Amino acid sequence: MAYSFAEHRISGGIGADSRYWESLEEGAFRLPRCSGCGVWMWPALYRCGECGSWEQDWPEVDPVGTVYSWTRSWYAFDRTRERASSVPYVVVLAEIPQAGGARVLGALAGPEDGLRIGAPVYGTIEPPAAISQGYPSIRWRIGVREPASGDGQ
Amino acid sequence: MSSSFRGATAIVGVGQTPHYKRGTSGEPELRLCLRAIEAACTDAGIAPQDIDGFVSYGSERNDGQRLMPALGTKEMRYAGLVWGHGGGIPGALNIAAGAIITGQADTVVVYRAMSEYDSPRVQLAVSQSDTAAQYLVNGLDAPAQMCAMRSQRLVEALGVPASTFRAMAQASYFHAQQNPDANGYGTDLTDEKYESSRWVSEPYRLFDCSRENDAAVAVILVSAERAADLAQKPAYVLSAPMGSAHGWGAREENHEPYWSAGFESVARRLWAESGYGPSDVDVSQIYENMTGMGVSALIDHGFCTPQNAAEVITVDNLTVPGGRLPINTSGGNLAEGFIHGMGLVTEAVRQIRGQSVNQVAGAALSLMTGGPGDTLVSSALLGSEDTL
Repeated sequence: MAYSFAEHRISGGIGADSRYWESLEEGAFRLPRCSGCGVWMWPALYRCGECGSWEQDWPEVDPVGTVYSWTRSWYAFDRTRERASSVPYVVVLAEIPQAGGARVLGALAGPEDGLRIGAPVYGTIEPPAAISQGYPSIRWRIGVREPASGDGQ
Repeated sequence: MSSSFRGATAIVGVGQTPHYKRGTSGEPELRLCLRAIEAACTDAGIAPQDIDGFVSYGSERNDGQRLMPALGTKEMRYAGLVWGHGGGIPGALNIAAGAIITGQADTVVVYRAMSEYDSPRVQLAVSQSDTAAQYLVNGLDAPAQMCAMRSQRLVEALGVPASTFRAMAQASYFHAQQNPDANGYGTDLTDEKYESSRWVSEPYRLFDCSRENDAAVAVILVSAERAADLAQKPAYVLSAPMGSAHGWGAREENHEPYWSAGFESVARRLWAESGYGPSDVDVSQIYENMTGMGVSALIDHGFCTPQNAAEVITVDNLTVPGGRLPINTSGGNLAEGFIHGMGLVTEAVRQIRGQSVNQVAGAALSLMTGGPGDTLVSSALLGSEDTL
């Protein structure tokens, strides 16, 4: 499979997260866990700082958690100018209990009602788009997902 | 306290160009850099060609190799760059001092120059294109947005009132009224003016965010022994630790404690090596890329706790002459201007010399904290001869 994100590769971070973006493009939310000691790690690392293992598992994770923090941006800065028509927009840092409390960024989708730290959120996966720099993305929605759209945990 | 570092070196010269609004200096970075270094040499009474060490931080592009032909450098003996961004400023003082203490160099300049005349948008030059995909994909580009989430946590989860952010901004603007070179000179930042300013990224308003400038700053370090014979009153480097604790570093919003500015381990070493504590400090230059991160830096250094921050971080308490915790006495990054934080070092030195436009009477211990929330941070405590 030719991945869109690989054609729009952003360098600058640690860079061990290709599997994350591949998975999102395939429609699955996966986060890395050390094969050696089982600790969840996010952002993805090449080597486990706890046990020294170089191997990771990427289990599928139910994208359900809570708002750890958030900001509402009123300006589209240079490198994210594709967001200009969305201003103001909210970005949520969601804490995922099932993945050891990993905190994963995503733009907010849907109503802002109830936006606060600790509020329940669930994620929906968006395909690659210009607004997300040619990458797939997870978007967080406030509330508890209705059973019809998934079976929860 | 057995430290071969404490008080072994001093800042003996400072120089800086005016703060030009970004893109308006009409001068390339290298030229601004040379102007600042020459000014620092003149201030110190040192010949530019005698500088033998060059140190900077972040994404500084004007390496010593490019400077030495125009300075007439007799011999470059030492060069170094502290990784990261503004977090590394006192760290740059640290490695400059280390070079002098170990005999690798005698006269070291620490400097930073930025100009949009021949450089990319200053904001990009500062972030040096090292932003992880996770940010840009989700609409986060500027440090203001990332720091906003950390400050939101400080306010909403730890209960530190946003009034502390306003106090940081107003204290800086208050001090800028005595500094004609400050960008905020002539701006009376009333409660109403602050509260009605536009949001940038909540909880930050326009006046919570620093502004970038075309400008350059340089300071010169020599051994304490040499410093005693030079023109200016020395500002001794008592301690300038750098680093990051376990759980910090490059973690893409997964660092701990999340709301913090990252100084806990550095501050612990700062107080231990210097032999002083927060209550001993006379005046502080607190790097505030954004107000909320300056509040976190004050908490990290032990000036207050999340519980009593609202009582400690008030305009009255942060300003000269009456405040017990005077900060950013030339206007700081917010109201004087932003040379990637380096202007705070010169002001910390001026306070020791008694040359600040908002002088703290008898200032002997002068703190400068580096860029808060960076993946590597550092702090420096400068002192007069009496503090050695």
